[in-house]
Amino acid sequence: MRAPALRELQAGFWRSLHSGAPDAALVAAILPSATLTPAERVSIYQSMYVWRLHEVLGEDYPKTAEALGDGFESVVRRYLERHPSEHPSLRHLGRHLPAFLARDAATSERPWLAELARLELARTNAFDAPDAVPLRATDLHTIAPEAWASVRFVPIAAVEVVRSAWPVHEVWADPTATPSPRDTLVRVWRQEFRVFHAAIDALEASALERLVARAPFAAICDAVVEHVPPENAASSAGALLARWIEDGLLAAFES
Amino acid sequence: MGISVPYLGHGVGLRRQHYSAILDEGRRADWFEVISENFMIRGGRPLSVLERVRSERPIVLHGVSLSLGATDPLNVTYLAELGALARRFEPAWVSDHLCWGSYDLRYAHDLLPLPYTEEALDHVVARVCAVQDALGRRILVENVSSYVAFAHSTMPEWEFLAAVARRADCGILLDVNNVFVSAVNHGFDAYEYLAGIPLDRVGQIHLAGHTDNGTHLLDTHDHPVRAEVWDLYRAAVRRFGRVSTLVEWDERIPPFADVLAEAERARAAEAEVLADACARTA
Repeated sequence: MRAPALRELQAGFWRSLHSGAPDAALVAAILPSATLTPAERVSIYQSMYVWRLHEVLGEDYPKTAEALGDGFESVVRRYLERHPSEHPSLRHLGRHLPAFLARDAATSERPWLAELARLELARTNAFDAPDAVPLRATDLHTIAPEAWASVRFVPIAAVEVVRSAWPVHEVWADPTATPSPRDTLVRVWRQEFRVFHAAIDALEASALERLVARAPFAAICDAVVEHVPPENAASSAGALLARWIEDGLLAAFES
Repeated sequence: MGISVPYLGHGVGLRRQHYSAILDEGRRADWFEVISENFMIRGGRPLSVLERVRSERPIVLHGVSLSLGATDPLNVTYLAELGALARRFEPAWVSDHLCWGSYDLRYAHDLLPLPYTEEALDHVVARVCAVQDALGRRILVENVSSYVAFAHSTMPEWEFLAAVARRADCGILLDVNNVFVSAVNHGFDAYEYLAGIPLDRVGQIHLAGHTDNGTHLLDTHDHPVRAEVWDLYRAAVRRFGRVSTLVEWDERIPPFADVLAEAERARAAEAEVLADACARTA
């Protein structure tokens, strides 16, 4: 029998891992051991492939895995079939899982699970987002009163707003819960090296999205005015800014 | 010419489960090995921990995704990230595996075996040379545990590894546990393997635990080092002398003190062998 070229051999090996069925040409190229047939030897790699990546996805999506219970493994198998790893680092293996779950049969009766996965992905993204030294309240004293309208705050990289049709933060706290649909906004951020998330109101979400878009402070105040009476706008904007400073969301400002 | 790397003593892998023992309790190994890919990130705690550890101890970068034996083109983005990591943390050396792990731009995240043929040898040598050129440094290449052997291999693994090291002018990270696991799985003599590795190429030794599945051994890194592997390690020290040695423990990870204790066992075994060698020559 002709010896397979290296690339041909690797193609057969990859097909065996990806499909779960041992490739006939690969099996023909493998010697039996004293205790195992060639196909049994290939199956060691096939098992390890799924087991390892199942473990990684379980670590990245612990709440989603808990909610899916025994069904998580079959989700992982279908996911790997559709989205084999495209990156040398396992860090990126699960990046398509929320979108995958939104279309997968496993969540057709529990559509909030795709949203739960989206929250978990946002937390992972915050975990290793670039570092920043947050602004302190005293740093704002250098902003001249007449410059406030045009000042642009620079948010830390580790902040994101997750918009969901479900109270996804409550599902995160109890993955086995059956929630009622409710438009929900969740802020995900990292302070020092700890990742947090918290439900926020529409006012803060709107203002935060403008902050992330690097809009001037006047535009952030406009977002506030859309949600509170004009006489309360200044105090609401000030409170919002104070909260962002306290939570370490602001990295810098540009006058 | 051989490989020249510093002797670092007895180290352990830097694992997140041990961050607080290392940072808060101040426990240290002689040196730490870090998985390169885990630190190819933009920020956060792991990089901060590595900065701190590196300020106090030597580190080496140990990769799992270089995919030296793959037939896809080398991933230049990955190589650039590895180069940036090496410039930032100045590791004593950089290592990866004698295997392949990707096909058609998809990653298996496993250390898949190569056939030991002239074709594969030419291919791996060219890839190691290209990596070393890109990084501007020589690397160490590690033998992996394997569970299949190819009918068309034309040479034993140790001959293949020695030829890669000689022709690419790279070093060898000799995983003694992997030698033992593969020897049992394929029915070769582990001591013959050691005898086939050139004296001047081994820059580091790995030790780890494995699992006996009855029909084969599995390289699981979830146990203490087995007695047969300690014996093989002593034989390696007798052959290669003092070589920086590292204990790997990646599953069912025990407290840091237990991993450190395993590194101390390696230190004691090395000292015992070297003392014995001195006594014989005295």
